[in-house]
Amino acid sequence: MNGDLAFALRGVGCAVGNGFALRDVSFELPTGYVMGLIGANGAGKTTTIRCLLGMRGIETGEIELLGHRVPGPAALRQDVGVVLDHTYLVGDWRLAEVERTLRPFYDRWDSVRYRQLLAEFGLDPRAKVKEISRGMATKLMIAVALSHRARLLVFDEPTSGLDPVARDELVGIIGDFLLDEGHSVLFSTHVTTDLDRIGDFVTLIHGGRVVRTGRKDEILDGYRVVRAGPDELIDLVGVELIGVKRSSTTAQALVRTEEADLLGGGVLVEVPTLEEIAVHIGVSSRNSAATVPNGRREEFA
Amino acid sequence: MTAVARMTLLHLRTIAPYRIPGLLVFGAIVLIDSRNPVVLVPTLALVLAPILTAQPFVVGDKADLQTLYAVLPLPRRTVLLGHYAWALMSFFVVAIAGTALAALLAQAQGIPFGRSVATLLTLCWALFAVNISIQLPLLIRFGYTRINLLVTTMPVALLLAGVVRLHLVDIESIRDWLALFWVAGAAAIAASATLASHASRQRQGA
Repeated sequence: MNGDLAFALRGVGCAVGNGFALRDVSFELPTGYVMGLIGANGAGKTTTIRCLLGMRGIETGEIELLGHRVPGPAALRQDVGVVLDHTYLVGDWRLAEVERTLRPFYDRWDSVRYRQLLAEFGLDPRAKVKEISRGMATKLMIAVALSHRARLLVFDEPTSGLDPVARDELVGIIGDFLLDEGHSVLFSTHVTTDLDRIGDFVTLIHGGRVVRTGRKDEILDGYRVVRAGPDELIDLVGVELIGVKRSSTTAQALVRTEEADLLGGGVLVEVPTLEEIAVHIGVSSRNSAATVPNGRREEFA
Repeated sequence: MTAVARMTLLHLRTIAPYRIPGLLVFGAIVLIDSRNPVVLVPTLALVLAPILTAQPFVVGDKADLQTLYAVLPLPRRTVLLGHYAWALMSFFVVAIAGTALAALLAQAQGIPFGRSVATLLTLCWALFAVNISIQLPLLIRFGYTRINLLVTTMPVALLLAGVVRLHLVDIESIRDWLALFWVAGAAAIAASATLASHASRQRQGA
């Protein structure tokens, strides 16, 4: 086990049902960084997170979490805070009761910090869980995670449905959490703009497979988005157009950076955003699944 | 505080916001059986206690407490034992409170009660044990939404009510077998916990 890793998944496979499965999922995050887990709805993000947390058994591979092989000892969960896109608390609990209820389970629970965080986040301790908004509920779950002094925060779609102000606040909270270099964050989302600001590493997942994983900057540098007229963006020898999207007036695709120079002068070449990379790779994977027999997909190394 | 005690306390806090409906059921049963205190104890023990046992699952299905249990730093086995500890606590609290209340009502109405109380409680224990031995593994495996409480609670309650009302069993005739009933009940619960442990592992993999 490697103590410098917040977590690592190696060759993880897990059948879920309805034909969906995680297949050979491998990626890792060094301690002290933020990883964005990006994929469309149904790509396998939540299943991956459930496997990582030991909430779902795996059939192949192994998972390492904070230096322990998952499932690991129950005490391992003292160090992990889990923030989902919904609360998993009784709706009729008041926020003060949440603290009284959860405190006995955590060795390092800090009641003063919980109350401070509620005040900082503008949460009323007398409010009921079911009465607070989505954004406030996310903050509540973050307050819980920070109050038991988690070293790893795992977010599953925390920003879906949040307004821009709430998302901005969340990014700020994560930034503060990362001031301690022993802290790490896994952030699953399909809203990639949040990761443009805070992500250090990115893993793209599609159809239960990891399509690309690595440092965000390397992934951004590795691709270019190209735009041209629909007849100008055609397959050239040595250039692979990834996830081509065509309309009556334009065509757009992703290419590897080193291949971009091979395109003609009428093609506009730009640095992509994470969202553009995710969209084009998603389109490409979907097309491959539709055309390649037995669902085998092309891998993008 | 042990981990199982913490789980039991969590169940208590889970149902605490919904205590008023529970108290209303308790009051209704007391009102209905006030003229017949002998029936009060089994009715409370076999209707109210199983409802209390299932209540954390009712709330849990709505609030996704399965996720909370998975996130808390507790072994899965402790979570499971916590359900059984909660069930036992529900039974004994209801049985003790019901017996005390029934004794008071019997005394006020001059109805003989004390002689059969031990036998009645033993019968209740055995039936409750059978009841939750079936109920809890199903609730743990499938959740409350897919397992209707009526399936597991009402048959036993109706059986006992019929027995008592129709005098099908001479309660005094089983006085010599009371210890056996307690042991059998405990054995049923232990077997059930083992089964539930297996079911819980299956649910995790599902």
